[in-house]
Amino acid sequence: MTGSVSEADVARDAGPRQAAGPSFRSRLRRHRGLVAFGALVAVGLGLVIWGQLAPKGDVVPLSVSNAGPDGARAVAQILGNHGVQVHDVRNYDAAMAALDASSSPTLLIYDRKGALDGQRLRGLADSSARVVVVSPRLETLRALDGGIRQAGVVPEGTPALDPGCSLPDARAAGQVSGGSGFVYDGGTTCFRPSGSAAGVLAAGADGRLVVLGSTAVLGNERLDELGNAALGLRLLGASPDLVWYLPSLEDMDLTGSPRTLDELAPDWVRFVGPWLVVVALAAIAWRGRRHGPLVFEPLPVVVKAVETAEGRARLYHDNRAMDQARDNLRAGTLSRLAAALRLGPGATAEAIVDAAARQLGTAASTVSDLVNDHPRSEARLVAWVRELHTLEKEVKRR
Amino acid sequence: MAISGRFVLLVLLGLVPVLLLPGWGSFFAVAAVLAAVAGADLALAGSPGLLQVVRGGPVNVALNAPVHAALTIHNNGRRRVRGSFRDAWQPSAGAADPIQPVDVPAGESRRAAVVLRPFRRGDIKSPHVTFRSFGPMGLAARQRTVTSAGSIRVLPPFNSRRHLPSKLQKLRELDGKAAVQIRGAGTEFDSLRDYVRGDDVRSIDWRATARRSAVVVRTWRPERDRRVLMVLDTSRTAAARIDDETRLDSGLEAALLLGVLAERGGDRVDFLAFDRRARARAGTAGKGNLLGRLVQAMAPLEPELIEMDWAAVPAQVRAVTAHRSLVVLLTSLDGGAPEEGLIPAAAQLAVQHVVVVAAVRDPQLGAMLSERSDAAGVFRAAAAERALLQRAAVSAELRRFGVEVVDAEPHQLPPGLADMYIRLKAAGRL
Repeated sequence: MTGSVSEADVARDAGPRQAAGPSFRSRLRRHRGLVAFGALVAVGLGLVIWGQLAPKGDVVPLSVSNAGPDGARAVAQILGNHGVQVHDVRNYDAAMAALDASSSPTLLIYDRKGALDGQRLRGLADSSARVVVVSPRLETLRALDGGIRQAGVVPEGTPALDPGCSLPDARAAGQVSGGSGFVYDGGTTCFRPSGSAAGVLAAGADGRLVVLGSTAVLGNERLDELGNAALGLRLLGASPDLVWYLPSLEDMDLTGSPRTLDELAPDWVRFVGPWLVVVALAAIAWRGRRHGPLVFEPLPVVVKAVETAEGRARLYHDNRAMDQARDNLRAGTLSRLAAALRLGPGATAEAIVDAAARQLGTAASTVSDLVNDHPRSEARLVAWVRELHTLEKEVKRR
Repeated sequence: MAISGRFVLLVLLGLVPVLLLPGWGSFFAVAAVLAAVAGADLALAGSPGLLQVVRGGPVNVALNAPVHAALTIHNNGRRRVRGSFRDAWQPSAGAADPIQPVDVPAGESRRAAVVLRPFRRGDIKSPHVTFRSFGPMGLAARQRTVTSAGSIRVLPPFNSRRHLPSKLQKLRELDGKAAVQIRGAGTEFDSLRDYVRGDDVRSIDWRATARRSAVVVRTWRPERDRRVLMVLDTSRTAAARIDDETRLDSGLEAALLLGVLAERGGDRVDFLAFDRRARARAGTAGKGNLLGRLVQAMAPLEPELIEMDWAAVPAQVRAVTAHRSLVVLLTSLDGGAPEEGLIPAAAQLAVQHVVVVAAVRDPQLGAMLSERSDAAGVFRAAAAERALLQRAAVSAELRRFGVEVVDAEPHQLPPGLADMYIRLKAAGRL
């Protein structure tokens, strides 16, 4: 007896130990797909997070270090290969320094946000031998005062524009891309859309100011199309130094901006709010502090007694238990009739009906038919109950 | 720790220096000064932890009657304590002024009283008193809660008292004090007197008449020194509320009226509250008047959410009285299965005792019975009818075992039970 028990124990002990290795491996094999999928999801998630968190390359449009479609790295590299020193500057001071350092520099300004004010623009223009302004805004043009005005956009569906002017750079380049550019009026205009006096390229009277209305000409994406590259290189490569200036928000002159409400308000206003917060905190502490711990109120259990009857009524109603309701009401009526007729608790239904009929002076069958009726619809049930009630009242009245 | 409205006002006034000398330096300087002032006030406040509370005042109070819960505050500290205290009576105590000012010089005592108007029967309690001791400037206070348990017993209202005079009148008519004594007004021999016209000829004592020349009749009086035992059911069915009061409260009212009435009738009265164990016991045997002992025993009773142990009731009754008694079971006729509990127990008791079952009927059922205007109303009427039929069936079953049943609406139960007692007494069944 003891021997068999111990053997069983040994077997039970050994079982899990032997099964541990294979069971783990088999479990791994069974859920191979799931594990692989989980690993894939984890790797994908890691890549996405890394991609989001990794520092981005230069994404500024027309930046010389931006290799994206809207960057201008290609044209800058080509210019560099041909001996043009490209100075990539991002603020006004650096631009002025670069302009001053070179003898007859060409300046490219692409001021998307209108960060430069008129004074600075004039200063830049005075320091440079030639200014190429890309897609300038109204204020920029007015400040440069080259007699060139904005004149709308290149119409939709104009993929290429012919030079159509006497400017050598334009004639050498031939056709250029036209899509989504601006056109300018005044001075010598080239690359005019059909039926327009304004062109994508406009040069001032002295040739020092050139306005280019299209970033596509210089952008990486379309540099190899049509004569874009030729136009860009000829415009920018005329002198050994090119200052490539993309003004940013830090060049914005803020001194002239209107004073804020904060600056207009007197000094002490700043401290009213914080101090009122202190007052509020004190008031909260004053009113919120309870005068001692809460005390318990032992509440006795109270149940509405009629709940059971009401619950049963709802059950009857939900199940449309008309037979049950009819039986109850009939029994109640009979017991009350028996009491009214003084028949005692042992009286049968027939005896009660007979006595009631005698009391009312009607045929027993009339009363019997009423009492033993089986209403089949709710409307009939309600009517029947009323008739029963009337019967009761009549019997009690006599 | 607590601060006063005065301190908040001071903080608000601190706005003036902050605005006159704008700057974070003055901001924090003013804040620091205010904190220092509050701290100094706090440090100078008397210690509320050294206060001692001794409670006094009445022990019992009637429901909805005002009572002064007195307490004596003794200051054991070396500094005067000035501020307020809160006596933490539970909400149903209806404390009118639980928070009061207090000013106790060092080493002295002061008396205070909180006016209570309790609106729930039972033992109302106050576990502690919280003191708030303000400093001399009245800006900040030290707060401490001192444990001091207070308790007042709120007695049942005994609203059925108003029925007592008329029922006592009836009892006296039975008793020898009434002018006419006729047979049927009792079974115990009282005395012999001359026959007057109108006396029942059956009560003529022929033996005494033979000794004298005139006709002599016997007079009877109701039995005295009988026993009345009221058993109140405090189980889950007692928690049912009918007409603004629970079955338990209706049962208490009925028991009080019957107890007082039976005591005046010269009977011994015992009261037992029982569900699965005895919750309260009171009786004629003991000090003081019966009413006082009954209300004392009844005051803390609450319905318990457990099933009544009817099988144990006969043994409980036997433990109280070995003689034939009137046993009144204050319970309910519906809910659960009376066939399994109440009826066998009552039948067993009825073998030796006179048993009366007093139960509250819900007037709401009658109202439901008359709702017959639409289908929902008819179903409600049917449900009410069923509940009433069940009650009637249980009553009939009980009567079959010789048990008397008083089935009345809440306000009719105490007089109904009293009438039943008088009827039984008159019939000499006790």
